[in-house]
Amino acid sequence: MKKYLIVLAILSLTLINCEKDDICVEATTPNLIVVFKDFENQTDFKELSSLTYWINEKDSIVLNQTIDSIAFPVDLTQNNTQYIFKTSDLKDTLNLVYTRKDIFVSRSCGYKTIFEGLQNTSNSTNWIKDITINNTTIENETAAHITIFH
Amino acid sequence: MKQPHILLYFISLLVGLSSYSQQKTDTLKKTDSYSIRVGIDISKPITTIFEPDTKGFEIVGDIKFKRNLYVAAEFGFDEKTTQEDYLNFTTKGSYAKIGINYNAYKNWVGMDNEIYVGVRYGFSFFNQTLNNYTPNVTGTFFTPETLAPNSEFKDLTAHWAEFVFGLKVETFKNLYLGASFNVKKIINTKEPENFKNLQIPGFNRVYLNNMGVGFNYTISYLIPIIIKKK
Repeated sequence: MKKYLIVLAILSLTLINCEKDDICVEATTPNLIVVFKDFENQTDFKELSSLTYWINEKDSIVLNQTIDSIAFPVDLTQNNTQYIFKTSDLKDTLNLVYTRKDIFVSRSCGYKTIFEGLQNTSNSTNWIKDITINNTTIENETAAHITIFH
Repeated sequence: MKQPHILLYFISLLVGLSSYSQQKTDTLKKTDSYSIRVGIDISKPITTIFEPDTKGFEIVGDIKFKRNLYVAAEFGFDEKTTQEDYLNFTTKGSYAKIGINYNAYKNWVGMDNEIYVGVRYGFSFFNQTLNNYTPNVTGTFFTPETLAPNSEFKDLTAHWAEFVFGLKVETFKNLYLGASFNVKKIINTKEPENFKNLQIPGFNRVYLNNMGVGFNYTISYLIPIIIKKK
């Protein structure tokens, strides 16, 4: 009888150890994180009072709140995404060029797309004074990829 | 090329063990029968017919080599297409398991049923084909396209350890029906590049911490070699 109990205990323990993997909890395709900083004092954040933006000529999105950082989706079907930013009636363009790579995450999450070799091919300076790419690879959302000085 | 080799290996192993057990019985004076039992997993042909994404076949066998102890082996072939939320892949390959069963059931004289526990070492050679996938993106601003790379990852392997719990009942003379349940854990596996072995032939679905479970329903025939009476 003791033998059975030991075997049963081992079996039930190993069964309890099975983890659920039906629900996607890992991070998937990352967004582009942009921070807004002061051009004169480049370590300080500088807020925008409002922002209207267009991504790839889709409908505009209006943000009526003060922001100093924002996350934008990146087009994962093409190798470039165009962002037009408008604040106090001045428009500037960020034209992001990159290469895409699909990385396996897990059974439930499938693949995520990461963006490599980030470049900005636009140099409009109506309200933006400078754009710096901090990280040429977008693979997570832990830090800003792009800093906009204004 | 690898599949016939596994088969040959096990056949020679089984033959070797049977001759060993014969020699041993000559010195023992017990009413034990020493015999080879062979059969098939009946659930595999049934799922092959009724589930279009699953094909499989499994041969099972065991040899009694000591009172209540059996050398047991299973070998088979599996092909399964799995659809997940963001991907679809096909796993195809062959496997073999070998180990020992201990019969914990005390039979009445003349009966030969089993309630057993066992351990197995299992290994598999297989290929994975990633049929298609859709990159996973949160939000609806950009809609991802489904990509069909049909990339095949060849010559993958897996080794695992298995605990088995099951029973066998003699329904007609020398004909046994069996059912067993097993829990297993991967020891080592060769993973495909930028993908994962989510399904392994003989192991079934691979859970997050490399665990797996399985059920077997067998029908087998006993070939008696020696029946010795006091």
